[in-house]
Amino acid sequence: MSAPTAPTEDRASSAPPRGTKLSPGRSKRVPLSAIARRRSLTGWTFLIPAAALIVLVNFWPMIQALFLSLQTGRGTRLTWAEPLWLNYQRLFEDETFRLTLSTTFIYLIIQVPIMLAIAMVLANLLNAPWLRFKGFWRTAIFLPCAVGLVSYALVFRQIFATDGLANDLLIKFGLLDDNVNWLGQTGTARMVIILGLLWRWTGYNMIFFLAALQNIDRSTLEAARVDGANGFKTFWYVTMPQLKPIILLCAILSTNGTLQMFDESYNLTNGGPGNTTMTVSHYLYNVSFRNSPNFGYAAAISYAILIIVAILAAIQLKVGDKRD
Amino acid sequence: MKKTRTLGALGAVLSLSLALAACSGGGGGDDDSTDASGGTGDNTLTVWAWDPAFNIYALEEAEKVFQADNPDFKLEIVETPWEDVQTKLTTLAQSGETDQLPDIFLMQNNAFQKNVINYPDIFADFADSDVDFSEFPESVVAYSTYEDVNYGVPFDNGTAIGAYRTDILEQAGYTVDDFTDITWDEFLTIGKDVLAKTGKPMLTGQAGSADTIMMMLQSAGASLFDDEGKPTITDNEALLAAIDMYGQMVEAGVFVEVNSWDEYINTIVNSNTAGVVNGVWISGSIQSAADQSGKWAVTNVPKLDGVDGATNYTANGGSSWAITPNGNEALASDFLNATFAGSTEFYDTILPASGALANWLPAGESDVYSEPQEFFGGQPIYADVLTFAAEVPSNNTGAYYYEGRDAVSVAITNIFNGTDPQAALEEAQATVEFAMG
Amino acid sequence: MTKTQLRRIPAYLFLSVAVVLSVFPLYFMAVSATNTSNEVVASKLLPGSHLLENFQTLVDSQPLGSAFYHSSVNAIATTVLALILCSIAGYAFEIYHSRAKDTVMAILLLAIMIPFAATMIPLFRLFAQLGLVNSTFAVIVPLIATPFLILLFRQASRSFPHEIIEAARLDGLGEVSIFARIYLPTMKPTLAAAGVITFLFSWNNFLWPKVILVDNAYQTLPMLLSNMRAGYVTDYGSLMLAVFIVSVPTMVIFLALQRHFAEGVTGAIK
Repeated sequence: MSAPTAPTEDRASSAPPRGTKLSPGRSKRVPLSAIARRRSLTGWTFLIPAAALIVLVNFWPMIQALFLSLQTGRGTRLTWAEPLWLNYQRLFEDETFRLTLSTTFIYLIIQVPIMLAIAMVLANLLNAPWLRFKGFWRTAIFLPCAVGLVSYALVFRQIFATDGLANDLLIKFGLLDDNVNWLGQTGTARMVIILGLLWRWTGYNMIFFLAALQNIDRSTLEAARVDGANGFKTFWYVTMPQLKPIILLCAILSTNGTLQMFDESYNLTNGGPGNTTMTVSHYLYNVSFRNSPNFGYAAAISYAILIIVAILAAIQLKVGDKRD
Repeated sequence: MKKTRTLGALGAVLSLSLALAACSGGGGGDDDSTDASGGTGDNTLTVWAWDPAFNIYALEEAEKVFQADNPDFKLEIVETPWEDVQTKLTTLAQSGETDQLPDIFLMQNNAFQKNVINYPDIFADFADSDVDFSEFPESVVAYSTYEDVNYGVPFDNGTAIGAYRTDILEQAGYTVDDFTDITWDEFLTIGKDVLAKTGKPMLTGQAGSADTIMMMLQSAGASLFDDEGKPTITDNEALLAAIDMYGQMVEAGVFVEVNSWDEYINTIVNSNTAGVVNGVWISGSIQSAADQSGKWAVTNVPKLDGVDGATNYTANGGSSWAITPNGNEALASDFLNATFAGSTEFYDTILPASGALANWLPAGESDVYSEPQEFFGGQPIYADVLTFAAEVPSNNTGAYYYEGRDAVSVAITNIFNGTDPQAALEEAQATVEFAMG
Repeated sequence: MTKTQLRRIPAYLFLSVAVVLSVFPLYFMAVSATNTSNEVVASKLLPGSHLLENFQTLVDSQPLGSAFYHSSVNAIATTVLALILCSIAGYAFEIYHSRAKDTVMAILLLAIMIPFAATMIPLFRLFAQLGLVNSTFAVIVPLIATPFLILLFRQASRSFPHEIIEAARLDGLGEVSIFARIYLPTMKPTLAAAGVITFLFSWNNFLWPKVILVDNAYQTLPMLLSNMRAGYVTDYGSLMLAVFIVSVPTMVIFLALQRHFAEGVTGAIK
């Protein structure tokens, strides 16, 4: 068997893989580095199909988008921008970009903390040893995640229609005097979108928190109880620190999801009234497909989203580290 | 040795399953349609259109008419919502994959200029065809004409009608004559009375949609753009008057805003409104409520007070057929010429069934147009609408129509939330100028 | 009632409220599927007798069977391929761990941050040049390798004892056999979790199929829903039935696999 040479970037892996104990029987016949190299090569072979696909469907288009973002013009008549960073400069003068970005941040700041807090409370309740019918509660709360975005947008629109169910019920219970046009006013329309997001995603995050709670070392909780800490203190000082990695992961994924949010904005409110519920990704879609198409500028917007997500993720990681 | 072989086997399995997946896509669907869109020059044309009750129905009837002389002819109609048509056209044009285009597609008149200007490659022109464009109203042909070349055969007519529920008006002591040739001020006064007596608003519409305001604007011959395509949102007397009027009606409850298009349709079907002001194509939706037969009447629309050039006539919507340079242009233009631009028989069929009012002038001479419509209390509404159509002032759309419209929607929302109209419109103007820059 | 039991009442109340809010829209969807359009608009909350009529309207007006078929093929193919590719990649990142591989993983994770609307046009151009428009292949390929799934498998592999691998090597088993015969069977919960997540995502995916499936013959269920919506007159009864039919498979799959799902997520989070 002719062993192909290991890729040059693989120098670091010439040390044996973690946890590998070389068997004396083999090492007599084959030199150590050859085994290690071959295993490393096997590793690369295993991961390259997936990695190559990710590069192909994510990074390759993004590199094309980078060149696109330096060009200007409508439709297919594109020329290099003068100056090259013109589209990025435009971002700072674009009122609609500013509006959609701030709307997106409103969703982010209100929805993500509420969702994570509710998910955390629910996960803790579901983890309580005395709770009965655990499967029932967990299933029911997770079920919204199984519903598609288009489907749930349709149901929510029906419920929050002017003559819809929400108004009927609220009037019946005397909480409202008159029908409210929920999706027709900025404040209430944003609220409906936030409610929709909470409905769809709280259970999803709860499952992750619950999983993390079940992995917590029980002896640490016992120790806290012996020391006389009450339930809340135990949670805050013993459980929370151990949950930090998963909270961080959920926070980063939710932040990322919110900044890329398109379906809710498109299907529930179509960005209205007056663009005030439109997310920045929806605006990106409009610049490309609804308006007179400006793909160079759209590409610049997508890079702006990418950079904001990266910065927020970095901040979250930093804050997460500090609490240690 | 063994390892390499297993690795190879795994790779083979992977690529096989990928290949299988790819094949099942090809095998699972309808292979005829793939051929048609590939432009093999046979007797099948692929068409994109979006409304089963309206333009798709018209296509099916046109297919029958054309089949009379061309028995082998077949239409492959792909139901595609308008927004998807735009998305797909953009994607195909932008990636240069024009061979995936259908042979014919329907396009909103308001979006026609934008697409012709930005994506000339997806359109074939009608220069070599027999279509006689002088048989269509000039103002309608203008939507699909760019630099004196015709790119579209006009389909439906967007002429606006005021349709009212005679039974509800009667309860309040009015007839449809009280709504004919009136101004929006008079409309508001009567509307308040109708609301007080019957509890029903006069009109409904989508919140945040600029439809009604755009109709008011066009009725005065005004637009958001001047002849050179520059935005004219500020210092636009008609626009200010329209927004003011719209605000007063919403304030008074005479105009009720709902969330979405289908909620809007439901207010009509479920008798939650005493009237409708929209393009004549709305009569198809009105007639879907069979229990309301005989309870509707149609007249012209109110006009703006104190605005130069104000009329009682306007338009909303309307669409045209475009053909693509896919190898089937000749057949596609022959088909359109023989049906949408040349068959009285065809229009006689689709008009009463779907309310598809022709733009093709010779069709108007047909007797079908003057037949009384039972649903509208025996009124020959289509003949009436044709007289309205001749009066509709023309409208500049240009490549930035949607930007303009959206900016005005935003301005309206801001004005309702207390922003000074002048300031809100200045912001809208700036937004459009930015988008064009 | 004891004091402890009393203290638990708020907990049960809170859970009940959460369950009612979670399930109520689904209940409304299911009930509406049995009512007439007018009853849906009037927000009727009791089951009606219009189910068969709604079904008839739906089947007559929409290619439900074909859309269901295409959605199923897409979702199943995506799930199977994603599980194969991502499990083996996640395994490799952990078991054949090296600094270079860590760097690659970190770079791949960046892909999570890329907005899809930005990559859509170049991606379309890529598949179109390969002649893959309208193919199942093009629908599923962008979904089968995701950094998130790889991460899930890599984390799950952390708890897999390396001694077993060593023992298997001593027995002369090849690396692929170790992965397929020894590692994978222990990863059922992770496979279930990853499978559920992928299936849900693929089944409900909307924007990309809408763009790449130019021909409506390959229409998927979310596209069908959106088309029904765009029609000028909407029959809410059959629309809600369609929404219900689209939602059932994903709910059933989740219910069937939920025990493994929870375990799988737990395993990955250790």
